[in-house]
Amino acid sequence: MDDKIKGLQIGADDYLTKPFHLSELAARIYSVIRRKQFGNANLVQQNELQIDLLGKTVKFKNHPIELTKKEFDLLLYFIGNKNRVISKSTLAEHLSGDFADMLDNHDFVYAHIKNLKKKLNEAGCENYLKTVYGTGYKWER
Amino acid sequence: MGKMNKLLNKSLKSFTIYALIVLATSVPAYYYLVDSIWLRELDEHNEIVADRTEKELNNLNLTETELNQSVTLWNKIQPGTNLEKTTLDNNRNDSTYTVLRKNIYVEHNEIDRFRGLSRVIKINEENYLLTVETNVEETEETAIAIAILTFLFFLILVIGFLILNRRLSVKLWQPFKNTLTELKTFNLNSQSKISFEKSNILEFEELNVALNKLIEHTVSVYKSQKEFTENASHELQTPLAIIKNKLDILLQKEALTDRQYQIIEDINKALTRVSRINKNLLLLAKIENHQFDDSETINVSELTEECLEQLQEHFSNKELSVHTSIEKDCVVTGNRVLIEVLTNNLLLNSIRHNSQKGTIEIKLNESGFIISNSGITTLEKEHLFKRFKKSSEESSGSGLGLSIVEQICKRHQWTIDYDFAQETHIFKINFRAIQNFF
Repeated sequence: MDDKIKGLQIGADDYLTKPFHLSELAARIYSVIRRKQFGNANLVQQNELQIDLLGKTVKFKNHPIELTKKEFDLLLYFIGNKNRVISKSTLAEHLSGDFADMLDNHDFVYAHIKNLKKKLNEAGCENYLKTVYGTGYKWER
Repeated sequence: MGKMNKLLNKSLKSFTIYALIVLATSVPAYYYLVDSIWLRELDEHNEIVADRTEKELNNLNLTETELNQSVTLWNKIQPGTNLEKTTLDNNRNDSTYTVLRKNIYVEHNEIDRFRGLSRVIKINEENYLLTVETNVEETEETAIAIAILTFLFFLILVIGFLILNRRLSVKLWQPFKNTLTELKTFNLNSQSKISFEKSNILEFEELNVALNKLIEHTVSVYKSQKEFTENASHELQTPLAIIKNKLDILLQKEALTDRQYQIIEDINKALTRVSRINKNLLLLAKIENHQFDDSETINVSELTEECLEQLQEHFSNKELSVHTSIEKDCVVTGNRVLIEVLTNNLLLNSIRHNSQKGTIEIKLNESGFIISNSGITTLEKEHLFKRFKKSSEESSGSGLGLSIVEQICKRHQWTIDYDFAQETHIFKINFRAIQNFF
């Protein structure tokens, strides 16, 4: 943890300790690239969604969608891992960081995803977020 | 352990008893010695008196009548001697005797002891029996005097022993006490070197050498054990990462069946647990190796609020009612990361080992931190903080959470206590404890 601080202080963009999931790595790299490309005022256009990374807001065809912090986080994670299967346990780890597996119950992931899907759906967004193999998820475009 | 005695007090007791026996037996010995010297001297004295009497009376060349008058007079005025005509042969051996008799010269009734000599002497060719008696100190008086004197010496001896003992225990045992103090402050975990004062006493020096050897060995074993844990945990990270990544790649294969996916997910879960255990072992090793700076000033109130915030959804997931009473701006000195780990571990435990719709209570103030949650049965206190000692079957935790909590508390010199009362598990951390090892 001191290494992490040291690493970031000497100019690293991010710090990921072994062992990590590839999807986690992908999401973080994606986020670094975004930052490099758009500077500070960055907007991401994904399908019909417009994501304001700084304001942490999402708009569907200019209609704002109210997302919680976790839902927003999930959305970004999926967009950073387009067309890849992400398992529930991976998402649990991503969402609760250091103590995901400390909680055996990963139902909270399901709840967040359900809410995210519902909100996107209600805004009229096509269902890009697919459930695969029962407990896995995939953002398809 | 019973009553503890100081080593020197033990030897003092034996010495005192021995001195008492020796001095007690010396009383009759002294008495016989003194008494026999007395009697011998008095016998000698009586003989001199007898010799002189015989010689002087013969030298006077008295006539028969004069002699008879003199003898009568003699018997009247010479106390302790008696002279009378006898038919005994003058070759008869002298006889000595001891007699107890009333002293007629003092007013009160007193019995005195006398040493007597009776001898047949010849005056003017006639045999006279001369008895000379001299007062001797009584038996009891001699014995009592000696006993009193002996007792006085005994007292002097014991007092001397006590004073010497006190001095010796300070002086003689100083090197031992120094060693003991050093040992008491020694803590295997602190990695501080221990050095014993040089002593010129063979036994203490031997003790110090033996202790040094023992400690060196213990430290090296302890070090290598810690190094092993740290190295092993560290080395495992890479293969674990590879397995994880390969599984992620496998997961992206188009042709997976649901069953295959489920297997991958199960492997993933197990893998995550292994990683967690590994990370926690590494964390423990790092705490034990003092790799965390602990001089930060931390607002625990804010930190706790943040942790609670992060776990909010887990509370609501289990429909737990959370009661908090967190005093504002409580500050402790320590390591932020560690204190965060400590708080999270305790909070997560309170969620995990809680029942649906249970309660959690969090209290924080300047002196301590209390987390309690509803539970069914008490946990085993002595195993609670040990590694991999899981007290409940249902959990799939790493089995290291509370060990880490304990280590963090130790590191910050706090104490942690567990209690179970009224169907509630209570973990109490005291920030103000002055912790003593041993």
